[in-house]
Amino acid sequence: MNSSSTLYKKKGPLVVFLVPAFLFLILYLYYPFLQNIINSFSDISGLGSPAQGLNDPWWTNYAQLFTDPKLRTALGNTVILTICTVVFQVGIALILALLVDSIRVGAQLFRTLYFFPIVISATALGLMFNLIFLYPSGMLNQLLIGLGIISESVDWKGSDHFLATMLTPVMWQYVGFYFVILVTGLNNIPSDLYEAAALDGCVGLDKVRYITLPLLRNVLCTCLVLAITGALKVFDLPWVMFGAGMPQNQGWLTGTYMYDQTFNRGNVDYGSAIAMLIVVLGVVLSNVANRVFKPRNDL
Amino acid sequence: MKKNRLFALTLAAVMLLSLLAGCADKPGSGGKETGKPNTPVELNVVTSYGGDDGNRKNYENAVKGYEDATGNKVQDASGTSNEEWKAKVLTDFETGTEPDVLFFFTNADAEPIIQAGKVVDIATIRAAYPDYADNMRDSMLAVASDGKNYAIPSSGFWENMFVNTKVLADCGVAVPGPDYTWDQFLTDCQTIKDKGYTPIACSLFEVPHYWFEFCVMNNGTLDSQLDIPASADDAVGKKWAAGLNDIKDLYERGFFPVNTLTATDPETVQLFGDGEAAFLIDGSWKVTHFVDNYPEHLEEFAISYVPAKGERKASEAIGGISMGYFITKKAWDDPAKREAAVKFVEHMTSDDVMSNFVTTEVTALKNGASPSGLNELQQSAADANGAITGVVGAVQDAVSPECKAELFANVQRVVTGDMTAEDAVAAAIALN
Repeated sequence: MNSSSTLYKKKGPLVVFLVPAFLFLILYLYYPFLQNIINSFSDISGLGSPAQGLNDPWWTNYAQLFTDPKLRTALGNTVILTICTVVFQVGIALILALLVDSIRVGAQLFRTLYFFPIVISATALGLMFNLIFLYPSGMLNQLLIGLGIISESVDWKGSDHFLATMLTPVMWQYVGFYFVILVTGLNNIPSDLYEAAALDGCVGLDKVRYITLPLLRNVLCTCLVLAITGALKVFDLPWVMFGAGMPQNQGWLTGTYMYDQTFNRGNVDYGSAIAMLIVVLGVVLSNVANRVFKPRNDL
Repeated sequence: MKKNRLFALTLAAVMLLSLLAGCADKPGSGGKETGKPNTPVELNVVTSYGGDDGNRKNYENAVKGYEDATGNKVQDASGTSNEEWKAKVLTDFETGTEPDVLFFFTNADAEPIIQAGKVVDIATIRAAYPDYADNMRDSMLAVASDGKNYAIPSSGFWENMFVNTKVLADCGVAVPGPDYTWDQFLTDCQTIKDKGYTPIACSLFEVPHYWFEFCVMNNGTLDSQLDIPASADDAVGKKWAAGLNDIKDLYERGFFPVNTLTATDPETVQLFGDGEAAFLIDGSWKVTHFVDNYPEHLEEFAISYVPAKGERKASEAIGGISMGYFITKKAWDDPAKREAAVKFVEHMTSDDVMSNFVTTEVTALKNGASPSGLNELQQSAADANGAITGVVGAVQDAVSPECKAELFANVQRVVTGDMTAEDAVAAAIALN
């Protein structure tokens, strides 16, 4: 007892443990972040090239953000992605969690199955979905033609369908993540509440509406905040499937556009300005989400 | 308690050290080398023979041959050649972590490291090693902006028209010869399209540059191919715009794959390989792709000629030697590594080693390479190259990466009528 109280009184060991993590953050987060701010005002014409001084005027890149039609497209698509993430990822995860929670046999199997996509790399998933949506003889086209639903192959990455083709794999990949969080939340609801409700005649959907959802509110709020902030960072899967703005500059997301400007075009300073925009959007949206979906301690 | 404290301190020290580990010198780059000429050294080498490069195996064998002969070790950090790889290489030079020997592009891409004095010119090397690369034709060494030669050239490349002879035969179309005209090409494409095949395998989303190069040459000459427009309104700008409009015409006639704006290069190449498309413009590196992936069907492919119009002849192609071996200043100034680097480049560019890398490509060797055992496709390429009357480099290599990216990204907007060819040229030139 004495020794442990001595440990907490002496702050030395705490400092020793905190310093490496603090140094790590300074080296790999705060310093690059500050450098990124400086880069966004500088004139850098190639990846790895030194800055040729400040832009003239220094806010050039930020002014360009307001006039760049591709960035407008990217922001529009990112907003759609965010909405779809909330509606479909969390929505489907909630439905699946409720269904799995209500079965007695095979619940563990379903948990594993639904969570499985999370552990597969986005690159592998992108390649797999590329084969599924491949024109003209991908799996989806073959299936739909075989079932007589379509008579000719469809270019799923074309202007008419690209958004659904891009969003579906992203939705599918992360449903399992929210599913597991929600199932854990459901498991924490005491079963005697359900038993008492059943005695009062509250069963089926009423049980979900009056007991499950209110008691799951805090977990749902956490999922929604994670989903909204996570949607802003989506990059890998759309990049593997759609590359640079396919089709015809309609498929940009903020993440893919920033990457293209920085790494493919060597427009490092403008890429840095886009990165700043993403950070600002992330901070604003996460704050709004935190306020709107604020967890309640009275539940 | 003391044990706990000791454990905590040790753990913290390990974490701190692991943070600093990344700051350590690369293996073999340390200054502890004593400069003894016979002491085996580790040579850091970066090339584009990484990943699934067709010459990866040849490269590995050549490196092993060097290691066996000298006792030196090669730390290979090769990658796959693309814009990201180029950027990474240049970044390594910027941050002082450049390799000892670099196999890299000899065009404008190398200018940053040349102007920064990070690589050694051949004259300086020959002052100490008079026999350095004496098996090469000096007239074919790339000349940098300062008028000096820096890189010892390896094998070159060519870009020309691949044809699927099975598709052509089924459509009753003859394999194009060196007098192939644009009008005949349009007629052939229509015949092929009417027969249900895709005439041209090309992803305008990913690799429009092959057709751009030849369409620009079709609206100019071989000699003026490398001219860069000062504006969209000057003669060169109009030539570029006319080239883009020729691609638009092919698109509007439906000669490209239906999904040319959303397909990747591998997808359209597969279309050609699987016998669903007739024509494909690509480079010498694609020969290896077909040899590896369609070994049973090589007789169905042939190398032909890109149709010509105006002053250009179909027997004029894009090609040259765009890459070579550089010795970095860092290795040159290190007495322990200087000779190892020189010997490595001499070994990799020797007649024997080069003959393993070359099948149909151009070389700068005085004696020429001696490839043996050519298959049907390689022989077809050799035959086509034998009839080539003129070769010029790709104009895309003469403009900035940002200009190039803008130009080729806008090809899809031009062909769909979303942007005029003149505006696309102007937008690209503004970034050069």
